[in-house]
Amino acid sequence: MGVLSLCLLSLLTLTSVDAAILTLQSPRFTITSAAASQLRSEPISLKEKPSPLTLGAADVLKLSFQVVEKDGEKGVQPHQTFLRFYDPVTGEEGIQPVRVSSTGKAKFELNMAKPPASIPPTTATNLLSVSLLLGSFEHSPAKYELFDLVLPESQSVPLHELEHTFHPQPPIHHTFRAEQKVPPRIISAAGAALVLAPWVALLGLLAHLQPSVPYLFSINIIPFIATLAAFEGLLLWYWVDLKLGQVLLYGSILGVFTAAAGKQALATKSDLRRK
Amino acid sequence: MPSSKSTSAKQKSAANAASATTHQAQQQVAQTSNAVQTLLKAYNETTSSRLKLIDTFLVFLMLSGVMQFAYCVLVTNFPFNAFLAGFSSCVGQFVLTASLRSQVNPENGAVFKEVSPERAFADFVLGSIVLHFFVYNFLG
Repeated sequence: MGVLSLCLLSLLTLTSVDAAILTLQSPRFTITSAAASQLRSEPISLKEKPSPLTLGAADVLKLSFQVVEKDGEKGVQPHQTFLRFYDPVTGEEGIQPVRVSSTGKAKFELNMAKPPASIPPTTATNLLSVSLLLGSFEHSPAKYELFDLVLPESQSVPLHELEHTFHPQPPIHHTFRAEQKVPPRIISAAGAALVLAPWVALLGLLAHLQPSVPYLFSINIIPFIATLAAFEGLLLWYWVDLKLGQVLLYGSILGVFTAAAGKQALATKSDLRRK
Repeated sequence: MPSSKSTSAKQKSAANAASATTHQAQQQVAQTSNAVQTLLKAYNETTSSRLKLIDTFLVFLMLSGVMQFAYCVLVTNFPFNAFLAGFSSCVGQFVLTASLRSQVNPENGAVFKEVSPERAFADFVLGSIVLHFFVYNFLG
């Protein structure tokens, strides 16, 4: 990739060293009014720009020149010839192609009564700098500043129907749902008392019932009770501290012990029941 | 004089009708309270103490669920996941305990031939542990 670009560069430099330079021979401009009376006619010096040309609403500007090689005095028809109208203040530009004959002679006419579409929008005060761009395969490209032009002010550009959407829009204010509030402490306390009241009922009923658990602390059954209590403790611990993987691991280990203890305890209980 | 007599007779009959209706209402109330009392008496006498133990637990769970639901409806459902966890723990535990009671009841022995009471209790314990795990997960 690098070798290829090096080769291309060397080829380009070789061609540009030998390429001839294009220049203009006898460039001239003429401004005539609508009534065909000549207002201004001067040759154009490529070294010094003439004073700015002013065109009225119906005036005609005629431009004529011949494109020749600098040393050979031979007429050349460049592959591309453009007149560039450029407004340096607003940055607007327009490109107008110029027809050049095979001998290199060219004529351009700008009639302000019927202006071409390639003229850029003009303001009341700004100058348009007019330059000639020449492009050719056999010659190095050339750009010549010709003159400054003052044209009548153009109509303002109509606004596109969607133009207003291309400016900053009013900022969007998002409204979010209000945060849910905790109820007042009194009500929370009352609610807590309400929900814990069934425990009172449970304890009261148990006291009234006085259930008997004769075999609760026997050697066969107590491990089962202990592992069940350990399971509840593990779940409480999970609620406050543990992660899911940990609780599942500990739970599965404890589950093995619980299953063994439970088998033992329930076998004992069934024997007691049958006896 | 006959008009006053008729009005007084009318008043008397009205008073009689009113007293009759209140007497009827009282009778109905007495009948329902009698029915409830009879039901409670029969329950107390026929149920074994172990089943009564399970029943107290069921009553406790039901009350607990009702209280939590009342709080959620009346005051706020703000930590909604907490309400769901608590309420579903009551409901789930109630279901497990009710199924344990029906499987352990000696009168249902014919229906649950292959499930011994110990097996029922083991299922109850396993179900409870799994329920508690999910409830604690959701409690937050």
